[in-house]
Amino acid sequence: MLNVLMLGIGQCGNRILDAVNREAFGGSSRLSKYYSRQKFPSRVETLAINTAINDLKELRFTAAKDRLHVPNLHGVGANRGIGKQGFWENREMIMEEIERRGDFDIAFVMTSASGGTGSSFTPLVVHELKERYKKITVIPVMVLPFREEGSIYLQNAAFSMRDIMEVESDGIILVDNQYLKRLSGDIKTAYDRINEMVAERLLFLIESLDSEMLSVTDLGDFKTVMRGGLGMGTLGFYESDKKTTSLTSAIEGSIKPTGLLYPADVYEDAARAMIIIQGSKEYLEVDEITKAVEKLSTKIGQVFKGIVIKKGRPKVLSVFTLSQVPDLEMLYAQAAQAIQDEKSKKTRAKKQLDDAFAYIEDLEEVY
Amino acid sequence: MRRIYLVLIAIMLLAIPFAPMVAAASEADEEVEEETTIRDFSLRVDEGVRIGDYRVELISVISRVDGLIEVKVWKRVSTFEDWRVMEILRDANFDEGADRGGLTITVIEIFDEDTVRMRAKYRSSYGYPQKYITERGMAPKNLPELEVTTALDRKDVSVGDEVKVTITVNNIGNATARDVAVQDSPPLPAFRYVAGYPPKIKNSLEPGESDVAVYSMVAATEGDVTIPATVARYADSKSRVSSASSQPQSVTIKPKRKPDLVLLVEPPQPISYGGRGTVNVTVKNQGDASAYMVEVKSNLKSVGDGLEVVEGNLDRSFLEIPAGGSESYSTTIEGSRSGSRIIDLLATFQADGAILQKETTFEVMVLERELRFLYFLPIVPVLILAAWLFRRYKEYKY
Repeated sequence: MLNVLMLGIGQCGNRILDAVNREAFGGSSRLSKYYSRQKFPSRVETLAINTAINDLKELRFTAAKDRLHVPNLHGVGANRGIGKQGFWENREMIMEEIERRGDFDIAFVMTSASGGTGSSFTPLVVHELKERYKKITVIPVMVLPFREEGSIYLQNAAFSMRDIMEVESDGIILVDNQYLKRLSGDIKTAYDRINEMVAERLLFLIESLDSEMLSVTDLGDFKTVMRGGLGMGTLGFYESDKKTTSLTSAIEGSIKPTGLLYPADVYEDAARAMIIIQGSKEYLEVDEITKAVEKLSTKIGQVFKGIVIKKGRPKVLSVFTLSQVPDLEMLYAQAAQAIQDEKSKKTRAKKQLDDAFAYIEDLEEVY
Repeated sequence: MRRIYLVLIAIMLLAIPFAPMVAAASEADEEVEEETTIRDFSLRVDEGVRIGDYRVELISVISRVDGLIEVKVWKRVSTFEDWRVMEILRDANFDEGADRGGLTITVIEIFDEDTVRMRAKYRSSYGYPQKYITERGMAPKNLPELEVTTALDRKDVSVGDEVKVTITVNNIGNATARDVAVQDSPPLPAFRYVAGYPPKIKNSLEPGESDVAVYSMVAATEGDVTIPATVARYADSKSRVSSASSQPQSVTIKPKRKPDLVLLVEPPQPISYGGRGTVNVTVKNQGDASAYMVEVKSNLKSVGDGLEVVEGNLDRSFLEIPAGGSESYSTTIEGSRSGSRIIDLLATFQADGAILQKETTFEVMVLERELRFLYFLPIVPVLILAAWLFRRYKEYKY
């Protein structure tokens, strides 16, 4: 059995974590926490960490003991500097809280790359986890911001991504809000849907890694996949509907843009991949699977396949790392532009202020 | 001459009240002989007849056998008065006889001791004899008279009861009653005589004297009985026998008296489990005789355990419970097992040597043990649910 740690850091991370907990309750009802029990596929410990207590309070499905308030300020105001300082000041307290939950084989650290607490804490938390748990696999789940959300967010995303890469995580799973906002209309529904999608995929992944599979894909395979390419990847998912229960279309569906959390052309950009297929026996045609995987292999190279027999229509989860991330480059370019703009704006303001002050430079107040 | 002389006197006598008659008398005298008439009449002792100014009274019949009576003849407004014993069928002249203006009386017949028939001869002018009652006749007679009363000492008589009969004989007359004898007809077979029979009364009773005879009898059979009148016979000084009797009485004899016990039980209210209740027992004698050696017994022990006497006793005995009397007692019982139990109560008593029984039953309910916590049982799931929800709420409340 896998010991899984799921950390949600910052407002975004907290919400994804709440979605995970909600998913574990069975999803649907708001009141499910009063009558249902959480059903995690493995031993899963969840912990929501935030500097802003209001963000912790709005969680619904995360137990109170699993909400950790870092008593710094009321949030860090998207300032990574303050965030880092806050972490260092409370490092022991945070890590003790994690260590109290026992040993872990894998940790998912869910956060937004752009926020204050999330972007500043996550690289440090990943580092600390790597330090303290020698054999742990740490997978940050980074949520990229809407490009138009603001220059500070873009800047934060850029720097935090770099920080993460530096602390040697076992691969990053990318989620792009910008890409996913097409899902539904208003922002609240969109966020909820994104969080739900992430939660659903992560739980499916954990379940698959912990299952006795027909065709073996375990944590080691997952790690291998995640270390491929740039060490950045994403998840694709497809659940067959009543009409089309064909496995081929399911597998293809999981790597189509509609099933992905981050925009990528899997056939072109993927470095390594893992296809996990779940469903009732009658759907799992060996030929179909083999053909589909072969098709992928010829394009990508290494494709792990896992088959889990579980009652229900076929569901396919695809995990893959990318060998090139054109969108990320664009993001950095935008970020650099944003930083430049910010800088010149600041200089201009400074100059304007200096010019204004110059008027009174040699003067004294007269009463 | 002498005759003229007498006539003159007679005229003078007659002329005093009736002057006009003097001339007539003179005329009659002149005719010498006046007409006489003969009349028969009967007389009783103390009766008399008026014939002109003469009065003839029968004093007594001296002897019927000898035909002797005593009469008194007198004349109004005159000194003439003659007491004489007359013999039957022999004329007797009074005031010189009928021929001379007096009376000639003959006793024709003596009917009995006080009635005679007479014939009087007198001048027609005296008119018809008219009867009257003499002063002596109107005066009270010296005769004994008895009054007899019979009295029973009780009106409510049942078979077996002794009744005392008191016969009182009182002489309310003014002469001594002799040879008094009481004749009392026994009301057999409704009664049996016990003592004092036949009743004895003094042989002679002075005026105003009374005597009492008492005898007792026992009622033997039930029904309406008429006690015949008691007759007392007695004789007066002349040995004339009379009788007097009391009023007959009727008596209803009721059936024989006997005791009749009733057991009245006031059972306790349903006893709570392990609680106590009081049984009130009243032994009432509704009959009309005492019940003796009354023993009340219950079958409480054989009813089964779970019910026991903790105070007093249901079994009691009483030496005597008089008619109309009652005895009450109460007992405290404790129920240690639920259920309903029927308890028999048997009263045994003696009356007239016979042993009688009376029985009654009553029910004692012991209620089920009240398990109060059961009332709270339905709340428990609600509480558990509430506790669960509250715990969950606390768990997720940050």
